[in-house]
Amino acid sequence: MSTVDTTSGKRSALAPFAKPLAAVGGVLAIVAALLPWVTFTLNDGNWPDKSTLQFFDAPFAVTGFRWHLLLLGVLILVAAFAPIPSRGRVVRALGWGVAVVSFINGAYITAKGGGLGAITALDGATAFGSVAGLVAGVLTILAGYGYGITPVGEWKFKPPTPVAYLVLLVSFAGVLLAVAAMLTTGGVGTSNPYAGAIFLSFLGFAGGVLGALSGVGFIRWLSVLSEEHRVFSVIVLAACALLLPFTDAGNEYWMTVAANIGIYAATAIGLNIVVGLAGLLDLGYVAFMGIGALVAANFSGAAAANFGIELPFPVAAVIAAVVAGIFGAIVGSPTLRVRGDYLAIVTLAFGEIFTRSAQNDIGGMTNGSNAIPGIPALSLFGKEFNRELSIGAVKLPAGVLYYILIVLLVAATMAVFANLKFSRIGRAWIAIREDEDAARAMGIRTGQAKILAFLIGATLAGLAGAVFAHKNATVSYESFKFLESITLLAAVILGGMGSIPGAVLGASLLFVLPEKLRDFEEFRLMIFGLALILIMRFRPQGLIPDRHRRAELADEDVGGAPVDEVHAASKEAKA
Amino acid sequence: MTTPVLEARDVSMVFGGLKALKGVTLTLEEGKIVGLIGPNGAGKTTFFNCLTGLYTPTTGQVLLKGNTLPGDPAKVTDAGVARTFQNIRLFPSMTVLENVLVGRHVRMKQGPLASLFHGPAYHRGEKAARERSRELLEFVGLRGPDDELSRNLPYGDQRRLEIARALATDPAVLLLDEPTAGMNPQETEATQQLIFRIRETGVSVVVIEHDIKFIFGLCDSVSVLVQGELLVEGSPEVVRADPRVVEAYLGKPPEEVELDIEAAKGEQA
Ligand SMILES: Nc1ncnc2c1ncn2[C@@H]1O[C@H](COP(=O)(O)OP(=O)(O)O)[C@@H](O)[C@H]1O
Ligand SMILES: [Mg+2]
Repeated sequence: MSTVDTTSGKRSALAPFAKPLAAVGGVLAIVAALLPWVTFTLNDGNWPDKSTLQFFDAPFAVTGFRWHLLLLGVLILVAAFAPIPSRGRVVRALGWGVAVVSFINGAYITAKGGGLGAITALDGATAFGSVAGLVAGVLTILAGYGYGITPVGEWKFKPPTPVAYLVLLVSFAGVLLAVAAMLTTGGVGTSNPYAGAIFLSFLGFAGGVLGALSGVGFIRWLSVLSEEHRVFSVIVLAACALLLPFTDAGNEYWMTVAANIGIYAATAIGLNIVVGLAGLLDLGYVAFMGIGALVAANFSGAAAANFGIELPFPVAAVIAAVVAGIFGAIVGSPTLRVRGDYLAIVTLAFGEIFTRSAQNDIGGMTNGSNAIPGIPALSLFGKEFNRELSIGAVKLPAGVLYYILIVLLVAATMAVFANLKFSRIGRAWIAIREDEDAARAMGIRTGQAKILAFLIGATLAGLAGAVFAHKNATVSYESFKFLESITLLAAVILGGMGSIPGAVLGASLLFVLPEKLRDFEEFRLMIFGLALILIMRFRPQGLIPDRHRRAELADEDVGGAPVDEVHAASKEAKA
Repeated sequence: MTTPVLEARDVSMVFGGLKALKGVTLTLEEGKIVGLIGPNGAGKTTFFNCLTGLYTPTTGQVLLKGNTLPGDPAKVTDAGVARTFQNIRLFPSMTVLENVLVGRHVRMKQGPLASLFHGPAYHRGEKAARERSRELLEFVGLRGPDDELSRNLPYGDQRRLEIARALATDPAVLLLDEPTAGMNPQETEATQQLIFRIRETGVSVVVIEHDIKFIFGLCDSVSVLVQGELLVEGSPEVVRADPRVVEAYLGKPPEEVELDIEAAKGEQA
């Protein structure tokens, strides 16, 4: 609670200056966008986005990170003068956006051989863009604290259905554009020497805008709206996703990456049932995906398969899902006896048993370290899924059919999750998560409900695994190790527990980030870890939290103390 | 004589070396309100936990309408015994309406397939459950927005919500553990009226309470529990006159207690 005191202390000191600080910060961010950023051309080539552009030389030719800064500056000015809820949070988030964009570009130029001279003054040339940007960011953050960090705005406004549909359509289209931009900014790995920096800078911008939208209450409102119109939302989201091949990301490379993200997103949504809804920590979840993949691989007719029979994919997929589901129920059964941390250990052990027995080919189903290679690609009407597709004049990149299949898979998983969440069993899961004894006192058979959560979660993972087997053509135990379970769990927590868009966003970030950070070579995983820590520090409830916003692994300081305290007290009394 | 709706016979509960309950017997006739009083640590909450299957009594038997109750809280609730908790135990990050809907759980027929596909049967069931839940919220006097998170409700409203959630299970017997703890006099009075109205709907009630005035004004019969033993049982008149009660629990001379009771009766009329 000490943080509360310091912020209120800061508030009293800064309050009178909030508006001037925000105004100066906003203007300075705009000025920074128009200033030059580098005094000379670096060895790897011109710093992107026209670093040599002089002050006000070509204000309409501003692109890339400078365009982002310009936009942030304008938003800061709007936030400072327009009547909006929770102004402090909005301004602070935008300030962080400005600061991060400026810092990343400035630090990167310095580190890439420019030295401090590159971002200040050298040989008569001046380039104070990043310095101005950093100052603007800091001033704006201070302004945010000056306004006071009040609770997130709550919008009671319930629009009529057509308006709601329009809002959802526009928002999801925006999400699509943002995803396409996130995938394509800076290009792929080595093709652009500055790709990593450009990408990180973009994340800073996107994070700032997302934080502002969240602070003003828009994200929460949108998530309530999308849950109210969940069928429409899932359809629109799927339709938007199907348009991705037509954007800049429509090439084979990104189709493959997006398809892999989709497989993990579907799995993460399944895990979200277990962890997010029922509150059961599962540390071995990826094993169910592995079981699904192995079953599908063995029925695929591949030369290395261990069954002589080749089944059509839909049949094999259903068997894979059922087998995984059965294992889910088996692994879930200790939940009748153990709770909390102990359950996490049981699931961890199961995951390890799976990897070890797969590695040593126990049961003769996995071929051990030889894996099951050569799994044939899926095909429909003689069209193989990994080939390119042309419909009339429109040429679509290779792998697009897999992408489409996986989008449909994710949409189906989302629908399952959403429908379950708003049903008798979904409410029972949430009740168990909140207070298991009280749930039992309400007549919920908690044992059955928990096993059902494991069963359904595992079934979804098994289904995703079956698609994975064909998509990647090889199934090896290597793909289903502890690290994968943790990454999936991180995707769920990062995105926001119990929230569907959260799981998709979490999976995208976790599987795109390492791809994007290849540029940083040995620092890749370190930066990745750092990014995770920062997100969890500043947004413990996840990026797109569920309305119920309960972070199981991080306590949240919401003003509902009486109930929680009583809970803690009663739990202590029982222990 | 008719079978009592709830009957606890000779219930004992031992925790390690501690005898929390020593052969407690309690009978609840249909349509009655029974009060359970006693000092802190007397074993009142433990008794409720034994009735509802949260604890398995060391010895003794609990019967609902002549049938032995199963030793599992979920099945006990299904059979028709609902409860509230001394330390409010709502589902804090569920909305007000969702809390009551969880109470409807045992009475809803929605299976996993209906939950998954949301066909017409799902919509009919959900609508009925929502209507019933809203009725109950109205009944207990919660008229605020039902999409508020329950953790944000004021204390008194949380207690009322817990009663609505318990009533949603369509119980024959309702067990209330200190329903007015922490309430102001107006809220306490409203709760008393609420319990009378609950009885009118055909639900029999057992109330644990510290507030003597409240109990004597409310109950048809009162049991006094001291150190796990049933000290006295009978009508409020009998109990208030018993010198052992006065000594062991009330700690006041009988005349003063009598005045309290008169006052309670007067207020009620
Ligand atoms: N689960 C338990 N384990 C051990 N002792 C318990 C437990 N529950 C209650 N007790 C003990 O039983 C006694 C009666 O407690 P309780 O039923 O809560 O009293 P009351 O509700 O009358 O104030 C107390 O001494 C308490 O410490
Ligand atoms: Mg008690």
